[in-house]
Amino acid sequence: MAFFLEALFGGLMAGMLYSLVALGFVLIFKASGVFNFAQGAMVLFAALAMARFSEWVPGWLGLESKFLGNLLAFVLAAGVMFMLAWLIERLVLRHLVNQEGVTLLMATLGITYFLDGLGQTIFGSAIYKIDVGMPKEPVFLFESVFPGGVLISLEDVYAACIAALLVVVLSLFFQKTSTGRALRAVADDHQAAQSIGIPLNRIWVIVWFVAGITALVAGIIWGSKLGVQFSLTTVALRALPVIILGGLTSVPGAIIGGLIIGVGEKLSEVYLGPYVGGGIEIWFAYMLALVFLLFRPQGLFGEKIIDRV
Amino acid sequence: MSKVIGEVILGVQNISLRFGGVKALTDISFDVREHEVRAIIGPNGAGKSSMLNCINGVYTPQEGSITFRGQSFDHMNSRQVAEMGIARTFQNLALFKGMSVIDNIMTGRNLKIRSNIFLQALRIGPAQREEEEHRLKVEHIIDFLEIQAYRKTPVGQLPYGLQKRVDLGRALAMEPQVLLLDEPMAGMNMEEKQDMCRFILDVNDEFGTTIVLIEHDMGVVMDISDRVVVLDYGKKIGDGTPEEVRNNKEVISAYLGTSH
Repeated sequence: MAFFLEALFGGLMAGMLYSLVALGFVLIFKASGVFNFAQGAMVLFAALAMARFSEWVPGWLGLESKFLGNLLAFVLAAGVMFMLAWLIERLVLRHLVNQEGVTLLMATLGITYFLDGLGQTIFGSAIYKIDVGMPKEPVFLFESVFPGGVLISLEDVYAACIAALLVVVLSLFFQKTSTGRALRAVADDHQAAQSIGIPLNRIWVIVWFVAGITALVAGIIWGSKLGVQFSLTTVALRALPVIILGGLTSVPGAIIGGLIIGVGEKLSEVYLGPYVGGGIEIWFAYMLALVFLLFRPQGLFGEKIIDRV
Repeated sequence: MSKVIGEVILGVQNISLRFGGVKALTDISFDVREHEVRAIIGPNGAGKSSMLNCINGVYTPQEGSITFRGQSFDHMNSRQVAEMGIARTFQNLALFKGMSVIDNIMTGRNLKIRSNIFLQALRIGPAQREEEEHRLKVEHIIDFLEIQAYRKTPVGQLPYGLQKRVDLGRALAMEPQVLLLDEPMAGMNMEEKQDMCRFILDVNDEFGTTIVLIEHDMGVVMDISDRVVVLDYGKKIGDGTPEEVRNNKEVISAYLGTSH
């Protein structure tokens, strides 16, 4: 039982991290109808900015306090993500108003390669570490219930709390505010949105900035666990099945999808793995996504696909 | 009808619009008076929608100017147009399909929402009150358009005629001074057309909204409009009361064809 719980917790935590990346995809899709291929590149870019600023800033200002250094680095990295959102709107999206989704998808593919290169040119291409002071030591829970207790990592618990907070804030923003309504409107129809006075340009900067911030948070958490390196961009690939499962248009869907996939991966590896020679973890998520595509293409919480003929 | 037609509220002067070598509009001028129903008619491809798009700020005419309440503009900007109180509906529905009827119409109030985004998110104090006020306005519009039963339905699921009403509702939510309607009755059956006519006339009557209307159905146009502009191949060929336009030789030949 203790072993099962450990696997379950491990899965939930891994799932939370997938969710964070998936959130970025969902935000941009919900608010502009664009599948943003560059989300993974944004995670790396943001994480690189954070890692390097937290290294440079104390040097520039002669700061002793690590907390202050990290805080300033976070603010600077957020500033960089804002600049990035602004530039993407100005140089790319503005010229593609009223275009097909596919055109925009291709544009984000271009942005991906550009960001990969730019990030490493500016910030360097070695492996960097982010240390925001998350506790590394594991703790044992339920020691009185099970012999030896259940081993979980405090770092994962922190990460989960941060992710949960982010989700609550984003859901409120989307569902309850007029800006959120404007974002959803822009996703559905550019022309109509313009006619009621929604400024597309500003909305796009907001969306990409918000997605940039989620990328930054995801980058910091992933980065402090695994180190900041090029392979971070591939976490985006892990997030794809999550959004298929949860639904491209649902913020809670991204979270629950992530949890299901995280838990599914771990449990299937532990319990089914031995019978098929292991390695289930690698393809489990994609198989699950495939099944969903066949039977419920809008995902668990996505907007139902309506097609009037 | 006892409505009083006021001063000129909106005017276009010598508007020309080209797409490459195609002349969509050539030297068009006309004016719209406050509280009137002004129709723009013409055969397919005459440039009617292009005209609306110029007023609405979607297209930028190469020549000419647009005046609104005495202010003159070389071209309009969508946001500015919306802020000045000009709303529009679309020929091919342009609704937010995934959103409910209420949310669609609420988007029309977006420009009027003043409270701080953080207060809105948490629904506290003034933000809550403001949201309620806007919702009340939206409910009035929903009652007015007789779509109470569908308020929570995603508009993508509604039949065409009702979607047209939601489109009108969203424009009304902006409480516009001028309402631009791009073929509000296209593709409707007789009954739906009559309903739509009634809504348009009621809006004009009750709220005093000035209406600029593009329509193909001659019967409808002649019945409800005060003055009519006729376009053909991007040129203005007639302007006047329905009676005058009906007897205009050029208009008759544009519609019926002539032997050359």
